[in-house]
Amino acid sequence: MTQAVAKKPVGDSVAKVNEEVAVGEDLGFQRSWWRFERIVWACFVMIIALDLAGAFGRGPLAHARISSADHSLIVRYERIQRTGTPSMMSIRLDAGAVRDGEATLFVSDKLVSALGAQRIIPQPATTRVGNGGLTYTFPVTNPPSTVRIELEPPGPGRFPFEISAGPSASVTADVWVVP
Amino acid sequence: MQAVLRAFFGYFFLVFIVRIVGRRPGRQLTPFEFVLVFFIGGLALTAMVGDERSFTSAACQIVAIALAHYAMTWARAKSKVIARLADGTPLILMETDAKTGPVWRAETMVKMRIQDADVLFSARDHGLKTLQEVDSAVLERNGDISVIPSDGGGSDGQSTAQGPAAKADAA
Repeated sequence: MTQAVAKKPVGDSVAKVNEEVAVGEDLGFQRSWWRFERIVWACFVMIIALDLAGAFGRGPLAHARISSADHSLIVRYERIQRTGTPSMMSIRLDAGAVRDGEATLFVSDKLVSALGAQRIIPQPATTRVGNGGLTYTFPVTNPPSTVRIELEPPGPGRFPFEISAGPSASVTADVWVVP
Repeated sequence: MQAVLRAFFGYFFLVFIVRIVGRRPGRQLTPFEFVLVFFIGGLALTAMVGDERSFTSAACQIVAIALAHYAMTWARAKSKVIARLADGTPLILMETDAKTGPVWRAETMVKMRIQDADVLFSARDHGLKTLQEVDSAVLERNGDISVIPSDGGGSDGQSTAQGPAAKADAA
């Protein structure tokens, strides 16, 4: 048994704009679209300019430097970072942060969990966990000396962190991680 | 889950970019546009895949893109507004006016970044030798340029091989 086939008359669904050809042109819509395109192109140029400036990380605007009140601890980092992209945080310890040839450096948990600290250079002599972070000790012979932490954030967000090298040398800052 | 969301985002983002860049795909691809297609494709891949190199991730992303494409074509068929936003409308590039003869739509040509040579290419493709044999030319939604011969014989722009030849003989 054959089944019935649904049929529909052929109508003029496309507007017949000029006399001969049914085109369906809509210049009014197209002009609005061209205006929209111009705005989008302007946005594209702006995005590239912001990216070159470092507004999305990896550029001059992204570099940041903070120091503790007594200037014995100076941290250079990227305030805007990208997911899964390595960056280096450098922590400079001056004589004020060194006691008995040893510097004690506290980094908050966020630096390890949210900002994905991969490794610390040089290797610390000791590492203690607790107080919401990690406390490293480094033997220091002739300050100032620099400790570097390689970061690779696993996901986007805003992450505050804290680094301190003794009670008077402490810094806190935010890092924005873009997707 | 993130990989699937990235695939959805990637699909709609690329559809948007291609729509903005312009309507010259398919047969109209110039070598430069090949660069565009492959470069964008390659760059999109790194972000879409991320660090998930598993078969599961790839399979889920492919299914997500298939679904996104289905949703897009469904929405296009259901809504005229979406169809227009996604594809635009056909645009007349050249028409023949009863008083002035054949005229270019200068605004459309400039804004769609199409040159006379592109229309002539399509005319030759349809078996027409010169622009004088063209009655009207239309930039279609898929980027093709349809050419209607000036004797009015071909209505779809495809069966034009006979028309212009007959006209040339008559002339």
